[in-house]
Amino acid sequence: MIEVMELSKRFRKILAVDGISFHVAKGEIVGLVGENGAGKTTTLRMLATMLKPSSGTAAVNGYDIVQQPGQVRGEIGILFGGEVGLYDRLTGRENIGYFAELNGMTKAETSASINELVKLLDMQEYIDRRVGKFSRGMKQKVAIARSIVHNPSVMLFDEPTAGLDVSAARIVQDFILHCKQENKAIIFSSHSMSEVEKLCDRIVMIHKGKIVEQGTVAELKGKYRNDNLEDVFVQLVGDNNGN
Amino acid sequence: MGINVIKLVFLKELKDIFRDKKTIFMSLVIPLTIFPLLFLVLGGSMDKSMKQVEENLTVAIVDSGNSSLSQFLHNQETIKLVESTDVEADIKSGKILVALEIPANFDEDIIAEKPADLALLYDNSSQSSQMAFSAVSSMVDAYSKVVIEERLLARDIRGDLLTPVVIDARTTEKEEEGFGKFMLSLMLPLMLVIFSITGPMGVAVDLGAGEKERGTLEPLLTTQAGRLSLLWGKFFAITVMGLLSTMASLLGLLFSMRQEGGLFQGSAVSIEPITLVLIGLVTLLLTMFFGALELSISIYARSFKEAQTYISPLTMISFIPTYATYMLDAKNIETYYFHIPLANISCILKEFLAGIYNFTHIGITFAWIIIYIIAAVLFARYMFSKEEVIFRT
Ligand SMILES: Nc1ncnc2c1ncn2[C@@H]1O[C@H](COP(=O)(O)OP(=O)(O)OP(=O)(O)O)[C@@H](O)[C@H]1O
Ligand SMILES: [Mg+2]
Repeated sequence: MIEVMELSKRFRKILAVDGISFHVAKGEIVGLVGENGAGKTTTLRMLATMLKPSSGTAAVNGYDIVQQPGQVRGEIGILFGGEVGLYDRLTGRENIGYFAELNGMTKAETSASINELVKLLDMQEYIDRRVGKFSRGMKQKVAIARSIVHNPSVMLFDEPTAGLDVSAARIVQDFILHCKQENKAIIFSSHSMSEVEKLCDRIVMIHKGKIVEQGTVAELKGKYRNDNLEDVFVQLVGDNNGN
Repeated sequence: MGINVIKLVFLKELKDIFRDKKTIFMSLVIPLTIFPLLFLVLGGSMDKSMKQVEENLTVAIVDSGNSSLSQFLHNQETIKLVESTDVEADIKSGKILVALEIPANFDEDIIAEKPADLALLYDNSSQSSQMAFSAVSSMVDAYSKVVIEERLLARDIRGDLLTPVVIDARTTEKEEEGFGKFMLSLMLPLMLVIFSITGPMGVAVDLGAGEKERGTLEPLLTTQAGRLSLLWGKFFAITVMGLLSTMASLLGLLFSMRQEGGLFQGSAVSIEPITLVLIGLVTLLLTMFFGALELSISIYARSFKEAQTYISPLTMISFIPTYATYMLDAKNIETYYFHIPLANISCILKEFLAGIYNFTHIGITFAWIIIYIIAAVLFARYMFSKEEVIFRT
């Protein structure tokens, strides 16, 4: 589970994240939505201990992201959109194995975990070939397997379907649902409101680093008497820009 | 944990590098072959022009009085006499290499034992003409000797009276090694510094900026591996590759010196093992320094291209202090040189090659190299820990 407490991040003049607090329970998918530059990536990077918060903190499975970054990293798996981030000259298995061992797994644990994932994601055919010549969909599967190989209890997804075609995006979405079944706490950022609506239990809307609204899909629709979440979002963001 | 992670990163990076044909080609194959090829071509062309002159010593003799000298030259087998009406133009065009102008009263002067004049024309901008000039000059010298002996004989004096001292020139270096050693002391310091920069370059770019460009840096930073362990693993991998690349270049250089028909004409230079060890050590340390420095720059850059743009000026900058000491004679290098970055490296290598082991110089230089390395590693560590560097936008 994740507990975000008054988390802020300042880059020189820009207050990228401004005192946000929210909670993610086990087996829950929370959607982080916001415009470009709202602070989604910055928030996720702080949770992943890549960036240090300027103030506030968060707890990941009880570990503090500022005080115990090492333990936090052992609890999280990340899948960030854009480049899949694989080593072209290593095989699929070597790519996944490298990250497993960097996370402190033994060779035996690594190999068992990879074999399981290969079956789950149906990668038998190409897992021992070099990644360089893989299709985007194949690479995506390797990246997915890598993010979860050390069996983390928390998953962070930052626009994981950006730039993917429908079937590749589907693989990712199915994987997110699979993580939910495994009772992991999940944060998932996206621009696509329909995707968020489809996958998420709760939604956190952020704008200019601040949370403007949060709640379950039903709660939000009820509160704003609008069946279209996109309209709700645009209205909230517009209100905030207006003042 | 730390050591295991460093080892893991180190081995992974080496595996990755060795599977990259382009990097292997650029950092091992080219350095290994470039010198043998270069010297073979250089040596070959020098050899060729020498042979050409020997086989085709075209000389025009403008003799106003059919002198004894021109008869002497006629009898020389190597000379090819060519008729010429305008010697200057023919020399310029290369039709003849040199021309002799023998005045009409040449023989009279010789007989009268007066200094006889002789004009020897050649093209001082042409290597072949210069070689021909010295060949003809030595023939004229030989003629002079004949004349001298005749004169002495006429006075009943022994010929060796004119050479009271006979010099037996003995060299401290084995004769055939002297030239090679001289060339080596000029070239090797310069080359080793350059190799230490270029050797780790490609790999450093790949292991820093490449990690960013591929998008592997973020997942890497969210593993349990500490940033310092990642840094050390990468640093050692870069050092190993840099060193292999430098060794490939040196091997190529040594091989080319032994090459028959190359520039060094196979003049094998024997270097003492202790010298080799010391040179190797200096090279290793210098490679570590540049490796760490290049890795710091590379992690700052946003892409391969940017990294290459930032790193390549290093070669030019480093060239200045190294080149400034290029011509120094190893036997009298003043101590202050050993405080100048890179000039000290170049100077200490010169001394080692000359077999000089000055402990003050060695102490100063090694102390500085260690300081350079520590500074570069600390800089790399600083760069790896800075959010502004890792997530530069
Ligand atoms: N390393 C950095 N240095 C300086 N400013 C940064 C840095 N990273 C992000 N920012 C700024 O912080 C703000 C939030 O950026 P962030 O990337 O978190 O937004 P985002 O919600 O992920 O946007 P997008 O939807 O475009 O991915 C932006 O104004 C951005 O310019
Ligand atoms: Mg983003």
